Amino acid sequence: MSIADDYLYFHQRMLGHGVIFSFVGYVSESILFSLGEALKQKMRLEATDANVTKRLFSVFVEQVQNIIRYSDERLEAGSGRPSEMGSGMVTVGRDEAHFFVVCGNIVKHDEGASLCRRLEALAAMDSAAIRSHYREKLREPAEESDRGASIGLIEIARRSTRPIEFGLADLGDGRAFFCLKAYI
Amino acid sequence: MDRLYLPRTDRSPLVELDVDSHRLRIEGESYPEDAAAFFGPILAWLDAYLGQCRPTPPDSPIVMDVRLLYFNSSSAKALMNVFQRLESTARAGVEIDVNWHYHLDDETMMEFGEDFSEDFESVRFNLCASETELA
Repeated sequence: MSIADDYLYFHQRMLGHGVIFSFVGYVSESILFSLGEALKQKMRLEATDANVTKRLFSVFVEQVQNIIRYSDERLEAGSGRPSEMGSGMVTVGRDEAHFFVVCGNIVKHDEGASLCRRLEALAAMDSAAIRSHYREKLREPAEESDRGASIGLIEIARRSTRPIEFGLADLGDGRAFFCLKAYI
Repeated sequence: MDRLYLPRTDRSPLVELDVDSHRLRIEGESYPEDAAAFFGPILAWLDAYLGQCRPTPPDSPIVMDVRLLYFNSSSAKALMNVFQRLESTARAGVEIDVNWHYHLDDETMMEFGEDFSEDFESVRFNLCASETELA
């Protein structure tokens, strides 16, 4: 197979999944900003409903910030948080009825399992319950170890117009691949 | 005490806290790289200002105008911290108005306004739907 055939197949497969764009690798805050701008611009050009664009953008930001902060594959420069990078993948796409945002990254198995437990509870709530849960979390003082992850997850579930989907694939070395999909 | 003024950037809102007119403004989008680092100095400034207002409340109410188009979850936490400070100052007898401006078609910002409004008893919190775009 030629290199063009090879990548054509790869490209077509992505498009077949409804992918608008996908980023794999190390993400930083500046990559988040640039991808977010590209996303907003595309939505504007296609005259997408402003409320849909806002929901999509909000889920995108929370998803990517979770990768930057919580991926187990990470790079941190000495100067502190703003230069940190986390490795993972983020995909924005569209199926027949919805836009979707999927993120995936490697986590420690135990952390992934605890994430999934929190997400199971969120996925079982209706929108009114998610909203009041968000309000409760907003009032709680932030814990030192938690840079807002739980409220970020609630924000993702709140903006999703269908129940969120998520899962964990064991990598066998105490780590696992975590993924989370939201629909708008 | 000096006025606090932070210009709007791509990812952080304009913030103006004017001690002379007792007006506070926050406008734009808020998803800074590090929300704690961005909001920390604002909260510190607010603590100093509100600390001055408690013993000698200003003649006219303190008015805060919020015109936000988007904020992430870390910024929502920070906004809550701002509002909690205002509410406790209002409970101590200082008159405070918060005007929450949003475009009337913006469901997200309207809902957030409703959510925040539940925490206010002593602050007058006004939901201000606007027909014109805020940007």
